[in-house]
Amino acid sequence: MKNLYLPRSLEELWRVLEREPKAALYAGGTDLLVRMRAGMCSPPALVCLERIGELKGLREEGDGLRIGAAETHANLLRSPLVRERLPILASALGTLGSPLIRNMGTLGGNVCTASPAGDTLPPLIAAGAVLELGTPGGRRNVPLRDFITGPGETDLRPREVLLSVRVPGTGAFNVQHFEKVGLRNALACCVVSMAALLAVAGEGVVEKAVLAWGSVGPTVVTCPEAEAVLVGERLSGERLRRAAALVRERVSPIDDLRASAAYRREVAGNLLFRLLDVPPRQPGFPAVSR
Amino acid sequence: MIAFVLNGKAVEVNVPAAKKVVDLLRLDLGLTGTKEGCGMGECGACTILVDGEPRLSCLLLAGQLEGRTVTTVEGLSPGEDLHPVQRAFVEEGAVQCGFCTPGMVLSAVSLLRENPNPNRREIREGMSGHLCRCTGYVKIVDAVEAAARKKGEGDPS
Amino acid sequence: MGMLEVGLPVPRFDARDKVTGRERYAADHCPEGLLWAGAKRAGIPHGRVLGIDTAAAAALPGVRAVLTARDVPGTNRQGIVHKDQPVLAEDRVRHCGDPVALVLAETPEILREALDRIRVDLLPLPGVFSPREAMAPGAPLLHEKGNVLLEAVIEQGRALEALAGCEVVVEGSFAVPFQDHAFLETQNGTAVREADGRIVLVVSTQAPFRDRFEIAHALGLQVPDIRVQSPYLGGAFGGKDGATVQCLLALAALHSGGRPVKMQWDRQECFAAGYKRHAVEMHYRLGAGKDGVLRALHARLLYDTGAYAHLGGEVMELGMEHAAGPYRVPDALVEGRCVYTNNPVAGAMRGFGVCQVSFAFESMMDLLAETLGMDPLELRLKNALRRGDRNAAGVTLVHSTGIVPCLETLRRQELWTGREAWKRRAGPFKRRGVGVAAVFNAMGYGRGLPDSAIAKVELTGEGKIRIYSGVSDMGQGNASAFVQMAGEILCQDETGMELLQPDTDRSLPSGSSSAGRTTYTYGNALIRACRSLKEKLIHRAALLLMAETTEGMALLPGRVRHLPSGREVPLAAIARILPEGDRTCTDQFIMDVSRDATGTGQAFPIGFPHVFFSYGAHAACVEVDELTGKAEVLDYLAVTDGGRVINPRNFEQQVQGAVAQGLGYALTEEVLLREGRIANPDFADYVLPTFLDIPDIASRTVETVEETGPFGMKGIGEVGVNAPLPAVANAVRDALGIRFRRSPLTPERILEALRAEGRRGGEGNP
Repeated sequence: MKNLYLPRSLEELWRVLEREPKAALYAGGTDLLVRMRAGMCSPPALVCLERIGELKGLREEGDGLRIGAAETHANLLRSPLVRERLPILASALGTLGSPLIRNMGTLGGNVCTASPAGDTLPPLIAAGAVLELGTPGGRRNVPLRDFITGPGETDLRPREVLLSVRVPGTGAFNVQHFEKVGLRNALACCVVSMAALLAVAGEGVVEKAVLAWGSVGPTVVTCPEAEAVLVGERLSGERLRRAAALVRERVSPIDDLRASAAYRREVAGNLLFRLLDVPPRQPGFPAVSR
Repeated sequence: MIAFVLNGKAVEVNVPAAKKVVDLLRLDLGLTGTKEGCGMGECGACTILVDGEPRLSCLLLAGQLEGRTVTTVEGLSPGEDLHPVQRAFVEEGAVQCGFCTPGMVLSAVSLLRENPNPNRREIREGMSGHLCRCTGYVKIVDAVEAAARKKGEGDPS
Repeated sequence: MGMLEVGLPVPRFDARDKVTGRERYAADHCPEGLLWAGAKRAGIPHGRVLGIDTAAAAALPGVRAVLTARDVPGTNRQGIVHKDQPVLAEDRVRHCGDPVALVLAETPEILREALDRIRVDLLPLPGVFSPREAMAPGAPLLHEKGNVLLEAVIEQGRALEALAGCEVVVEGSFAVPFQDHAFLETQNGTAVREADGRIVLVVSTQAPFRDRFEIAHALGLQVPDIRVQSPYLGGAFGGKDGATVQCLLALAALHSGGRPVKMQWDRQECFAAGYKRHAVEMHYRLGAGKDGVLRALHARLLYDTGAYAHLGGEVMELGMEHAAGPYRVPDALVEGRCVYTNNPVAGAMRGFGVCQVSFAFESMMDLLAETLGMDPLELRLKNALRRGDRNAAGVTLVHSTGIVPCLETLRRQELWTGREAWKRRAGPFKRRGVGVAAVFNAMGYGRGLPDSAIAKVELTGEGKIRIYSGVSDMGQGNASAFVQMAGEILCQDETGMELLQPDTDRSLPSGSSSAGRTTYTYGNALIRACRSLKEKLIHRAALLLMAETTEGMALLPGRVRHLPSGREVPLAAIARILPEGDRTCTDQFIMDVSRDATGTGQAFPIGFPHVFFSYGAHAACVEVDELTGKAEVLDYLAVTDGGRVINPRNFEQQVQGAVAQGLGYALTEEVLLREGRIANPDFADYVLPTFLDIPDIASRTVETVEETGPFGMKGIGEVGVNAPLPAVANAVRDALGIRFRRSPLTPERILEALRAEGRRGGEGNP
């Protein structure tokens, strides 16, 4: 059987990686161990990151948060800080897998797995998350949207480890809406998702809009043209129809077991209409809808 | 050697660190109350408590137990008295084939610890990592609700 | 500890050991020194076996044996009715899950590696992946007799002529896919050849007694040399009725040098090699008068039975027999064909053929109601079968027939009376609808073979009452019902009772746990055995108490009392004086069959027709999201006629569980096949409903008395699974005005239909 390492610090981790440069890293195991069981990969050794203190913790950073890469989804979902500062991330976390999966899986795992269906990715990208990556030699910061380069593909370099995810606060947006379409209401793989951050003025005019879609392209899809259509106007069926048409052009979904490309394209546009149903809120926790 | 506390007793096991915990429990330690239904975290039958929190033992490797406290269904009520959650499962008819039951019971114990007074929606959310093919879930929700109610009424256990 | 009284919701007898993890399922048996057995599967849907190279596997340290068809000593054929399924493939593989080699290894890891090392030289052959392809001229043949397993007709009156004369005729085609049982405990067992040569198996099986014959036939052994034990099953639903691991395990035991062998399929193997619910195509024409009275039906059914027969013909028989629904249809012609394909093997599953046709006939009833402008519930009530009617298969309903009260009960419920207001409360982008379905399901094996059970009860040496159950408990709770019935007759509480799961050496042949017969047939035998035991205990107590006669003796928990004198004798004391041979009572029962000379259904060797039916009327409240096409069931009601209720809570368990499986069938469950390969062979992609997908299902009962049934009961394990799909489809029709004829009703299908109607999501909204 393979060797399993459980380093307790980054120091130890670097030493392990020196010895086992081809080892696979995991924190929750909810992705790697499933793929290994299916025979999709067979790394020579395993390194579990769950005990590395430097990868844990959640702290305020400016108006945003710095989230340790090995923090579990469940911990983040429980955190009042996440609910206050990144309600849209909390909404997405609430739809991820199941409570059991969330007890094990980590934010860093969701990022590094880089699945097009990764539930936390659209809200993190909409919020402008930046990753802190480390090697024994140094650290670098990379915007999440640049880090993920394709399905399961990232800019992670050899012996480099994701240390933390830094997310600017989304307080400026009084509409924060996340919706995930899956084939069931728990334990669902994302078929289409949309994260929407809107700043809506008192009279209903959209001042700022950030939109991101999951599962409709090799990586998270954004659509500045659609955002531009919404800005400067009140939300209306007419505006949303135009934005939806632009989004449907922008996405590049695939057919798979769960849905066809055509369905995903259609729904990516349709989900915008839900914004008519999400009243602007003052800081708080917006409704989770799926 | 991997040392941990299992159902209240300190144990040391000599197995490969990369062995799945579900196999360690069932095959090496003979604790067959923990079941395996899918092997990939989708059914919850293999749930155990690690430091009090539910974990999928099919996605957990033996080495990860080092220094932890593990509770399996066998450790929930070592005597003849049932744990209140177990009693509620019996009384409310939450058990049919029973293969999902040990995992469900452990998750329910943890759920009620975090939220002693959940409504039905919260129970459904909290238990939603477990599949059951027999019951249609209704009576499992009833059981968790009843266990919470009894606890609220001051059931000593 | 409460008394065991029939009619009370006493806790299940098996629950305590299941909540504590003490219950030992077959999967939990790990005898000392065991070897692990595993099968190499074909992996392609159709092919000629040119060679199997086992050398590399056999050379692996820790591999005890690698076996192929050449090592199978008997006929190498298994199958409940038709023996067409090899234990190990010979020259041909007919579906991806066909086993070609069997490995025995020291550990699961070595087993996996050895299986990987086996090289099967397969010449791919063209396959047939639907009944239509299989019946096309020149189609490759799967079996010597051709690709049609069974072709049959059930006819009453002159349906085609009657249809031509009907004032209204509605027509529709429907299709349903394969469904997986998805029990949580996958197929598994252990086997050991004992020193005397007998093979002892512990298997997760619904039919331990029949398994012995299967094994003996396939491996050339003698039935008495095989013992099968069947502990509580972790679910089965029909999927463990028939050969799964049994013959492979027994074969392994012949080559293990006396060591025990264990085989446990993983989830993917369970999907690939396990049985499925048949995919069916259905074409219906239903004729009625303008008054809504049904006159005639013509139904054509095409069942995809996959690579082997299993119970395909019998499954189709039940579908055909139920094709007209629980209605009076004087002229009915039902034509069925059950066809082999290179798809996974279809077989028994809860609702056994009826589940599929229920979708068609209950959709047709709504279609007729729409056409006539009638209330769908009133149309059903008008035509619902009543006791004394002849059903569309020509069977006179001489037994309890509760569909009318089921529908009447449903009509009174707020969910039905308040449905218009509920629908109006739908939020933005949501559309709501309420649908009903009326269904029935036959009980028992039907004509052509005895539906029999032999019960055995014992006064143990400790003075307890022990039931030797002869039929497996896959979770439905028959074992608990047996304890409750015995407790009722023998006046015992739970502490005075024991129950043994089936063991072919200790209990007596009682058939399979299936067909809604389990509690009915064994229960009837048990009641008789318990009455004998009661008489015996009272008689022996009278001897011990030196009473003049047995008059005034009462059997009480743990003791017998002479009421006039108040003197008592504990059961343990009686046990001590009884020689062991005098402590048991056995008795038997055979279910009655229809006596009608129906004059049709000649093609069915067994199973046609049935005479006992349970009934149900269900209502589903469904909300559809116009933006995503997703349908959710927000409220659900099931009204069931299962005769008298032995245990109301356990009755509800069965109803709710059946409805949940039916809702999965309606909305998400589908074995996705790509040229015979299962594309979703795991719990990530085969979409089972979760806690968040099933509403709080309400259950009401209509208690008829089935006078032939134990305490008046009928089997209700199956009827509940038949209604959810049509009820949901009718509700979606009510919500959107679109009728779905293909299941499941996935978001994609619904959204596509909305678009086809020019109703793009968000259009026409504020």
